[in-house]
Amino acid sequence: MKIQTLKIRIQVFIPVLFGCFLFARNAYAMHISEGILPWNWAALWFAVAAPFVAYGLYRLKKLSNTDLSFKPLVGLMAAVVFIISCMPIPVPTAGTCSHPCGTGMSGILLGPTISVLVTAVALLIQALFLAHGGLSTWGADIVSMGVMGSFAGFLTFRALRAIKINIPIAGFMAGLLADWATYITTSVELASGIKGDSPFMPLFWKILIAFIPTQLPLGILEGAMTAGMVVLLYKKRPDLLVKMRVLKPEEVAA
Amino acid sequence: MELFSEYFKKDTLFSRIDARVKLLAAMVLLAMVLSYKGFAFPLLMALLCLFFCIKMRIPLRVFILRFSEPLFIAAVVLLLKFLFSGEEVLFSINIMGARITGHKDGLMDGLQIASRIWGAVSVVAVLGLSTPFNEFMAGLSWLRVPKGFIEILMFAYRYIFVLFEDAMVIYNSQKNRLGYSNVRRGLSSFGVLAGSLTLKALEHSQNVTVAMVQRGYDGNMPILKHKPFRASEILFSALFLIVMGFAWSI
Repeated sequence: MKIQTLKIRIQVFIPVLFGCFLFARNAYAMHISEGILPWNWAALWFAVAAPFVAYGLYRLKKLSNTDLSFKPLVGLMAAVVFIISCMPIPVPTAGTCSHPCGTGMSGILLGPTISVLVTAVALLIQALFLAHGGLSTWGADIVSMGVMGSFAGFLTFRALRAIKINIPIAGFMAGLLADWATYITTSVELASGIKGDSPFMPLFWKILIAFIPTQLPLGILEGAMTAGMVVLLYKKRPDLLVKMRVLKPEEVAA
Repeated sequence: MELFSEYFKKDTLFSRIDARVKLLAAMVLLAMVLSYKGFAFPLLMALLCLFFCIKMRIPLRVFILRFSEPLFIAAVVLLLKFLFSGEEVLFSINIMGARITGHKDGLMDGLQIASRIWGAVSVVAVLGLSTPFNEFMAGLSWLRVPKGFIEILMFAYRYIFVLFEDAMVIYNSQKNRLGYSNVRRGLSSFGVLAGSLTLKALEHSQNVTVAMVQRGYDGNMPILKHKPFRASEILFSALFLIVMGFAWSI
């Protein structure tokens, strides 16, 4: 019985250990490294990301026609996302440093379509000048971080606010779910890209489990960060939250 | 924060080549590396790029730092494929009751992915190390990347360093006041840091817009114009790609 338990523990431990090394060491966990996806999968994720980026550009053009400060604002938010996703934060459970992605935050503030653009810009600079992520995996990274992260963050925040959940909790849940949505999508992309002739599902579960040591605490960190950001803006500059349509004027007045 | 562009040196052969030529060549080489069935060609690319980096006098520390993450991922993917994927058994051992099996086909698959990562990262690193940001933007513009996207890239790149300094000031001040002394305080401090950074970004965006409008900004940023292509560069690059194409086809 003891041997059986030990066997199971080792069988679980080894993939988790590899996963910890793979994704947690200095975890730019949300970035799929250059070259990891074969060309056909890389092309597919580019095709998925393209309409979202195109629509983001259309919205950018429309909004910047009426407000000259909109392009600088989007550029600066891209810089914020870049910096936040480069900030080393200790993750005690994994005994390592990790990094949030900040797309939930930008999704809430700028809306998901512009947030996709913000993520695409931050990812391109990281790929070219830091060797984090990659050019060939840019499409896949945009889909996981930009599309899934931004939409999950935005929709969660809006849904929770619609049922009168308070701002800190709505912000926390938006950040948490944005992070976890990114992590699940990254697992799908990785598993499909490296599976070769093996079946998809077992590899997907292995990668998903391997992400747990960093992504569970990292999701909480991302949630706390998003909640902190929304609360600080609410306290110091509620007018900006109204201007950016994050809150309605009556919510700020109350 | 150290970006590749900090190590850019003007007086090397690669730095003098037109950014458009480098961009196109990098894209072709990336496609070759990603579509190659095997590991010889990506490894050849990785070694060639290492040689180019040495020629560009890139400090070894930078090279090791930048390549450590992708190479580590490459090594672990290789191990994962070797131990958990494949059918043709190479060895099988018992460790404390658990069977560890290495697979020959898994090893070959793993080697292919690992070499692809190394080769592709090397190609992009040489591009990043040999091209200044403004020339890179002009190259993207020539490739018909939408202007709005390039303008946002330019704003983001300019303000990364400004905001990073702001972030470091806030972070150090929080750390000196025991803002990261335990998990709870750390989470709260990081939230305040992110919020303050967002506020700074909003303030900077307003200020920069006012300053730019006063200097004639009408919503469009000027982008560097390229000089005409040089025939020698095109010939040299085409020859290089033909040789690489030949190596790819073997």
